[in-house]
Amino acid sequence: MIDTADMEMKVIIEKIAEAVVAAGSGTMAGRLDALEAAIKEESDEASLWAMRQMVHNAHCASDLTVPVCDDTGIPHLYIELGRSRALTGKMLEAIREGVAEGLRRLPGRPMAILGGDMERLDQSGVLSEDPGDVLPAPFLIRPVEGDEIRVHVLMFGGGPAIRGKTEAVFHHFDTEVIKEEIVRWATDAVHKLGCTPATLSIGIGRSQPEASALMVEAQINGCYREQTRFEQAITDAVNKSGVGALGIGGKTSVLATFVRIGPQRASGVRIVCLRPSCCVEPRKAVALL
Amino acid sequence: MGKTMRINTPIDVSVIDQLDVRDRVLLSGTILTGRDAALPRLLKMEEKGELSPLGIDLQGAVIFHSAVSDAGLGPTSSNKEGIENSIIPLAKLGVRIHLGKGELSAKTIRGLAEHASLYAVIPPVSALIRSCVEKTERLLFPEWGMEAIYKIEVKDLPILIAASKGFSVYD
Repeated sequence: MIDTADMEMKVIIEKIAEAVVAAGSGTMAGRLDALEAAIKEESDEASLWAMRQMVHNAHCASDLTVPVCDDTGIPHLYIELGRSRALTGKMLEAIREGVAEGLRRLPGRPMAILGGDMERLDQSGVLSEDPGDVLPAPFLIRPVEGDEIRVHVLMFGGGPAIRGKTEAVFHHFDTEVIKEEIVRWATDAVHKLGCTPATLSIGIGRSQPEASALMVEAQINGCYREQTRFEQAITDAVNKSGVGALGIGGKTSVLATFVRIGPQRASGVRIVCLRPSCCVEPRKAVALL
Repeated sequence: MGKTMRINTPIDVSVIDQLDVRDRVLLSGTILTGRDAALPRLLKMEEKGELSPLGIDLQGAVIFHSAVSDAGLGPTSSNKEGIENSIIPLAKLGVRIHLGKGELSAKTIRGLAEHASLYAVIPPVSALIRSCVEKTERLLFPEWGMEAIYKIEVKDLPILIAASKGFSVYD
């Protein structure tokens, strides 16, 4: 007799595993077009050399279904839960299992440190050889209209994590002040990133966790083809830095900016989270449950 | 754009003299990998005279700042503290090319020039790099998995000279 509950869990595991592989080996819609447009504009030969390799690499990773970057990243999952649907603890376990299965198939980079708190902090614990041991970050869940459960899988690499920041900005009741502060942070970040052209992912909220969650939403909803005036202004300002591809100089340091502005408090401060997503990010895919 | 050259490891100082910023190189031969954890430990082993008995010679070597795993190879940021602080001491020991990504400090770039050593960058094109890697062998610190020192055989690995003779692409 077939256990339908077991079947349902197996389907979830399979769909999440497929999404992990797609996120790690694919390229977000619109990014290759943005890169090709940057190539057309570029006159620096070294920068052109780097960007042409990036385009070739994206096609190669997609065709062979291999990681687009060896730093396959830490899985971050964002679940949009349709109002008519329920999400059980068992389903969340299946989603976690799907992540582990997907990382083994990709394969993800085996970078989980084993051991207790202190061993993990100073890396004195041995490294696991199992990519599936790279645990996902805590899930984010938001109710949405409709009857679907959409699980967004995003893979966050280490370079942008080093250069990202989440801090308070005193805005002086002027959006230009916020924009200029973001441009200052982002220019410094892309300068040091190495893996440019970047895509800037930004969340603006009332607390550090909320701003970080909004930054993830910015990656989910961001679009290379449609930029708001605020987003385009940030992109244009950072591109004046001349950092270019790989940081070796050129016209395009940033392909686009994705901003998500959440509810704000009556106060002189806004909390801004900036992730300078590298030249392979956002790496994302969605599973429909 | 500079010139394009094919070079093989181990690399002689005379080859380093011919390479300038923005030159493109197709690199072949045996190279080492190492990152934040392994490179400082490699230097400590050298200080204690522990590398020679293992047959590890850094003269003419290339060190790629990369992890090695089934996920592929690709550059990590060379300006991370553990890596950048190892570059000049390794150059003194004969490492000729340090391969990674990201801007290095002016002090490191000057130090490289003093020791006939170069910094080169490679885009994070792990899917393409796969086709250039012919063999990998874990050489030191096996307990560190992908962070261990590996010896790898590469064929026509495409790199760009980012710092040479005191100049850099970041000037």
